[in-house]
Amino acid sequence: MTATKKSLKFILLDILYLAMIILPFAGAIVLKVLITPQTEGVSLTGAIILWQIPMPLQDLYITEVQINSWAVVIAILGLVLFLRHGLSVKPYLKRQLVLEWIVEQCDNLVMSNMGQAFMGFSPFICAIMALSAFSSLSSLLGIFPPTSDLNIIAGWAILVFILITYFKLKGGFFHYLKSYTEPIAVMTPMNIISEFATPVSMTMRHFGNVLSGVVISSLLGVFLSSLTAGLPGLLGQIPFLRVGIPAVLSLYFDIFSGCLQAFIFAMLTMQYVANGFPGEAYEKRLKRRAERAARRAAEKA
Amino acid sequence: MLANVQTMDVVYVNIWAVVISLVNLLILFLILRFFLYRPVRRMLQQRQSQVDRVYSDAEQAKAESESMRQEYADKLQSAHDEATAIVSTARERAERLEDEIVKDAKEKAEGMVRQADKEISQERKKAMNEIKDDISAISVEIAEKVIGREINQEDHDKMIDSFIDDIGQ
Repeated sequence: MTATKKSLKFILLDILYLAMIILPFAGAIVLKVLITPQTEGVSLTGAIILWQIPMPLQDLYITEVQINSWAVVIAILGLVLFLRHGLSVKPYLKRQLVLEWIVEQCDNLVMSNMGQAFMGFSPFICAIMALSAFSSLSSLLGIFPPTSDLNIIAGWAILVFILITYFKLKGGFFHYLKSYTEPIAVMTPMNIISEFATPVSMTMRHFGNVLSGVVISSLLGVFLSSLTAGLPGLLGQIPFLRVGIPAVLSLYFDIFSGCLQAFIFAMLTMQYVANGFPGEAYEKRLKRRAERAARRAAEKA
Repeated sequence: MLANVQTMDVVYVNIWAVVISLVNLLILFLILRFFLYRPVRRMLQQRQSQVDRVYSDAEQAKAESESMRQEYADKLQSAHDEATAIVSTARERAERLEDEIVKDAKEKAEGMVRQADKEISQERKKAMNEIKDDISAISVEIAEKVIGREINQEDHDKMIDSFIDDIGQ
């Protein structure tokens, strides 16, 4: 498999791609270390503001969150370029197998949840999962995870909501409006609420899970510190219980929950888009349109 | 390090942060689409076409070998048939030749026998003539001696000839 010797150019490009993965995170960590104030005790605050740019409606705050989410995007780009490097019909690099596995898994997921017609969604689902999972996992590096900011997840949920509405409108605008009065006209306000509840619930689910992890970790830290604070002498000064025990919780909240929420978000996206798409009405509309075009062509001729 | 660091609240809503996040997701989608899915799909397609080609080549080779086998079998069969035909014609010819030779030999032998018969009868005739001459000569001599005088040879021959002819009949 490794019979082909890697050229110098290949190795240099590999190093560049690896640097694209590592450097953004390294920069984020350095930034975090430089700007984090020394505080006593455990406090629960949002992201640290770096710049404030005046914009219409609301000021734009460039915070850690934005920096970290860009770092995640660049790192994913680097990862993709690294895995993709040396792609060939006959795989001779192990990384190609990983790459093919990822694409295949995403394709299978989209195929089984949305069907053949939605195969174009595969990169989008892959992007959602990668962005969400890597954002949550970035907290392992000690930086502020972008997923613990409400606005980040709200942005994704709004994009998903736009997609849902776009696919619902494919059945025709009238059909879309009519769908609000089903099964009976009295349900209209409920339907409207549930329509807008979709992105809100998606946002809150994801954000709440990550935030609860942060809150519980903080509370546990305070709790473990207070346990040892009563001890006499030097023992009381060093919160030694905070070594190790939070790692177990972090295993759940950062790794398991982070990946799980990414998966759930992706699954919900697929379900909402696929279920919202009115297949029959869309086909009818296409047929009507084709008939109209045929009639017009016949009139012309 | 910095004296007074401002932080956001834990929960806040900022429309520009939402827009940035939305755009980030879109950008990542485009990145994955063009840098990951497009090359992988193209590669998979190439692999598929290569596999198809290999399969069709194998199929073709199989068909070719099958037809070749058939051809060779046919050729072998025809060679076999030809050999059989050659042997049978050769045998036929040999039999015909044998018949001819035997017939020729028979004819020749018959001819020879006929010739011999003819020669024998000729010899016999000649011998008889000679004997006849001898007898006439001897009888003339004897008659000369008996009679004592010379008979005209010509008359004598005539006389004896008639005599022998009488005897011969």
